[in-house]
Amino acid sequence: MKRHTILQRLTISVIFAVISMFFICGEAGAKVNIVTSIPDFASIAGEIGGDKVDVLSLAKGYQDPHFVDAKPIYVTRLNRADILVYNGLDLEVGWLPVLITGARNSNISTLNSEGNVDASVFITNILDLPTGPIDRSMGDVHPRGNPHYMLDPRNGIPVAKGIAAKLSEVDPENASYYEVNYEKFATLLNLKIKEWDEELAPYKGTEIVSYHKNLEYLSDWAGFKEVGFVEPKPGIPPTPSHVADLIKKMKSMDVKLVIASNYYPQKTGSLIADQTGAVFLSIPTQVEGQDGINTYIDLFDAIVGEITAALKDKTGAANHSLLDTDG
Amino acid sequence: MNFIRTIMISIVVAASSPCFQNYSFGQESGDVKKEIQELKQMMEKMQQRITDLEERNSVLEKQAKEKEEVKENIVVKEETGIIPAAAPREPQGFLGRVAQALNPEISVVALITPAYYSLNNPVVFAENDPENTGVNMQEIEVGFQSVVDPYFRFDSFFSFRTEGVELEEAYATTLFSMPLNSQFRIGRARAKFGRINQIHRHAQNFVTLPIVNAEFLGEHLNPTSVEANFLVPAPWYLELSASGGSPDVETPTFQRSPDANNVGNLLYIFHMANFFEASDSLGVNLGASFATGSNASGPDERSNLYGVDFFAKYRPLENNPYQEVSVQSEFMWRQAETPEEELEDYGFYAEAIYRFAKRWNTGVRFDLTDTNTPITEEDDGEGDIEQAGLSDVVKQNAEAEEEEETLGLLGRAYRISPMLTFSPSEFSRIKLEYDYLNQDYGPNQHAVFLQFLYAIGAHGAHPY
Repeated sequence: MKRHTILQRLTISVIFAVISMFFICGEAGAKVNIVTSIPDFASIAGEIGGDKVDVLSLAKGYQDPHFVDAKPIYVTRLNRADILVYNGLDLEVGWLPVLITGARNSNISTLNSEGNVDASVFITNILDLPTGPIDRSMGDVHPRGNPHYMLDPRNGIPVAKGIAAKLSEVDPENASYYEVNYEKFATLLNLKIKEWDEELAPYKGTEIVSYHKNLEYLSDWAGFKEVGFVEPKPGIPPTPSHVADLIKKMKSMDVKLVIASNYYPQKTGSLIADQTGAVFLSIPTQVEGQDGINTYIDLFDAIVGEITAALKDKTGAANHSLLDTDG
Repeated sequence: MNFIRTIMISIVVAASSPCFQNYSFGQESGDVKKEIQELKQMMEKMQQRITDLEERNSVLEKQAKEKEEVKENIVVKEETGIIPAAAPREPQGFLGRVAQALNPEISVVALITPAYYSLNNPVVFAENDPENTGVNMQEIEVGFQSVVDPYFRFDSFFSFRTEGVELEEAYATTLFSMPLNSQFRIGRARAKFGRINQIHRHAQNFVTLPIVNAEFLGEHLNPTSVEANFLVPAPWYLELSASGGSPDVETPTFQRSPDANNVGNLLYIFHMANFFEASDSLGVNLGASFATGSNASGPDERSNLYGVDFFAKYRPLENNPYQEVSVQSEFMWRQAETPEEELEDYGFYAEAIYRFAKRWNTGVRFDLTDTNTPITEEDDGEGDIEQAGLSDVVKQNAEAEEEEETLGLLGRAYRISPMLTFSPSEFSRIKLEYDYLNQDYGPNQHAVFLQFLYAIGAHGAHPY
């Protein structure tokens, strides 16, 4: 019986400690608290919200956004969110819904909640929308379209606009501030897009092979042709026979570039590149995917820089060898 | 508000009227009559004023409402003006229409397990463990899940087996913000007791349930209850849960009391869950649980079950995206009162899992349960369950319960289970497991399982 009384006392003291915690931590910050699923949105929200917001991304930039651990601490973060911005199109289907339910936060808890922002609704040109019947024999298919739309920098603008509108709605006092920041961001991004367009212009139509079907939007924008994938089907790791076929195909088409997001395994991609004389590029595909990439614009500076450098080398080298044989 | 204001105004007006000011006490009877008349008149005047003011008020209110309606219309127009810019995409064909329909998400997960046991009458601890040498339909779990409305979601899971169907879970969860960061789960749910009890069979790491879970909680502890969960605003994740309900699914430890109307004899479960993010790569869970309730061996006989759980996962995100190591352990200690004596026993398991490639993992589990009142020396050699003194005591008291549903253990049993798993995709899995069972009240047992898992329908959540 003694054991019970000690336990009871312990329980009571724990309960008191806990209740006091509710009051200590209960102070409300004046800033709008934005939580995003991936760092791309955090970076954009940060630029629009400036010092009027606190921004936090759940997933890391160097992490595969399909496979994020639903760590319980994320529940605590979502619990305090005024706005949740996520990618949608089932990208986070394996980990975000359970966190949202656990968050017990009316701001974000349902699709209809004021702070629940599925950024894909701002995008008008969703790629890979299935036209025929689909099932999972096709691999990890996304029935609502390819979710990696943030890899087309032009999509940064409507997303930023959507975030600005949502911020103005949640925090109307600072609406003009958000509007100004959005204009700034959009103008700068538009300028940069023109710059990148010029850099990429000579390489329009370049045939590339990518690891996963996550570079479609990038290719669509840059004018690359994706002629193959290292994965036999989305989400299924490469098999020897598929790799052999791919190497054959690449040799016959003279593909010069193999690209993989830096969160995918790199071995097979670089092996294929070695076998075919192509260049293998491991690129960051999300903000903070690599040291020094802190903004959405940094990200494309890095992507465009790395791809053009690689293609310049390759085509330059090809030209050299042509000259040599001529000589 | 308007009504109160009307009264206030009328009182002020009345007070300022001359008749009120001239009012005085201690006059003669004629004066009194006069005054009464005056008062009557005053009352009439006041009433008139009140009705006048009320009328004016209602007119004003009407006007305000009209204005608001106009405003709303404008807002709606503005919104509809914005929407085309971010036009919701047309649902595509059949699939789009299905996705758009308001049906709940449906999922089916099948566990089919060829098994080999070295004993003719295999020792099987949990209900959904493979039963016999042969091909076992371990479980078909059918799930229906959806939000109910802006305030609740509802999750239900039915467990189909060869012998029948069990309602495994069916509970509502509150979605809205509530005081003290609380969240309620109402209905039948896998109780927050330890770790494995909250994880569905198909998401568990081993083919067989740890002995301690099987012996103390049964296949799973899933009372129909009301459960309150508090998310404590601490720097780490800290959730406190308390639930009270009916142990309407019989478990080895808790059963409905014969004194069924005693609220104190219901099943109460408390749980504390902590999660610490040591780094981006390393997370640690620590939990403690307590459950108390009637065990049906007498009208007021209770069982108390204490548990602690530990889980740590190391997943280096930057270099090896699909490699991870996790360690998990649970310890439970049980006290059970019977009319004759107080029983005490304990058990634990510890497992380590290493995922060495995207589709492969391997692991090993050690589990043990023991009782401090084991089979007496004389009975030991026989290994005959029927002769075991302890189970006899319990069985008599439990009044004709089935053999599996008795309290207390026969002695000590431990088991070692290595396994290897290959997952062709997220939706299928093949698991090879070997179990070596050693029990001091019976012969040792070897078992081999090859478990096939197939999941169709809605994409489930990856449990952490």
